[in-house]
Amino acid sequence: MSNQNIKILLIDDELEFISTLSERLELRGYTSKIAQDGETGITMIENETFDVAIIDLMMPGLNGLDTLRHIKNTNNALPVILLTGHGSTKDGMEGMRIGAFDFLMKPLDINELLKKIKLAVDQTPKG
Amino acid sequence: METSNKKAMFFGKVTASVTHEIQNVLAIIKETSGLMEDFILMHKTNQVPDFDSKLDKCLETLKKQAYRGVSLTSNLNGFAHTPDNIQSAIDICETTKKLISITDRLFKQKNVSVEVCECTASCSITTDPVIFQMILFSCIECMIDTFQIQQLMVNIHPKENTIGICFSIGDENFQYPDFKEKIMQSSHWSKITDLCEQINFTAGMTPGSPKIFILVG
Repeated sequence: MSNQNIKILLIDDELEFISTLSERLELRGYTSKIAQDGETGITMIENETFDVAIIDLMMPGLNGLDTLRHIKNTNNALPVILLTGHGSTKDGMEGMRIGAFDFLMKPLDINELLKKIKLAVDQTPKG
Repeated sequence: METSNKKAMFFGKVTASVTHEIQNVLAIIKETSGLMEDFILMHKTNQVPDFDSKLDKCLETLKKQAYRGVSLTSNLNGFAHTPDNIQSAIDICETTKKLISITDRLFKQKNVSVEVCECTASCSITTDPVIFQMILFSCIECMIDTFQIQQLMVNIHPKENTIGICFSIGDENFQYPDFKEKIMQSSHWSKITDLCEQINFTAGMTPGSPKIFILVG
């Protein structure tokens, strides 16, 4: 799938982070949308089709793992990449146990993220 | 559990939260500088519309995040030095504000904003600064974990020989007939009273209104 056809949802309460990341992804040809909390992200997933969701683990209200659980219960095919600001991989590993495709540490390496997005999209069966 | 272990756990919880926030600051700085790099590279081959204003916007974000980072690390540094002396003279208002500024994210996770009302007078005391902060933190956790609230107010009232620190629910219409019982049942309350005993403070509840308070001195 070319970048132009990949639609990404970014969920993180740090607005400046997701809006900047979204702009960088758009410059590379992706389509991206942002949500500042898990609840909004879940609603967007219910109403629109996305190819990948990128979710921060630590958010107010519904945290990243709870958001992931909800997504996996309702839309299991959507690949989710988790972001963690913790120094340890514990929460990321827990996320993968629940069904996340992968996780990345903050601050991000954009090239690493792009690789993970491509892998996630390529490895997800198309319905 | 020994007090030293409790102190270590408290330090761990607070520093983990602040360092997570610092990671967010760094993540924004990294993405924003990356975006500037993207614009500059693109501008070499194609004219980027509004190039100057796009770079200005990025610079504003970088400055804002740098200030945020400095504030976080300065307060964290101050916090890290609190165990330097078993007893030290502390300004209650300043210490309370700084503690809340570095633990804010932990409370926001629970959708609660914590506000310290402006102190009207200088309130100093010589005490164990770590236990003092543990009491403040436990009082906030106690109110947040016991009740579904969105805002918590912290008021500091100096009175003759004592200083009262009051934790109340922001919503004035909030009514909880079993307030006292719920607080007493909370695991935080026994922790608060134990800690207060160690530094001769008094913990109590205001009859008829949903508030807990600490009397210092």
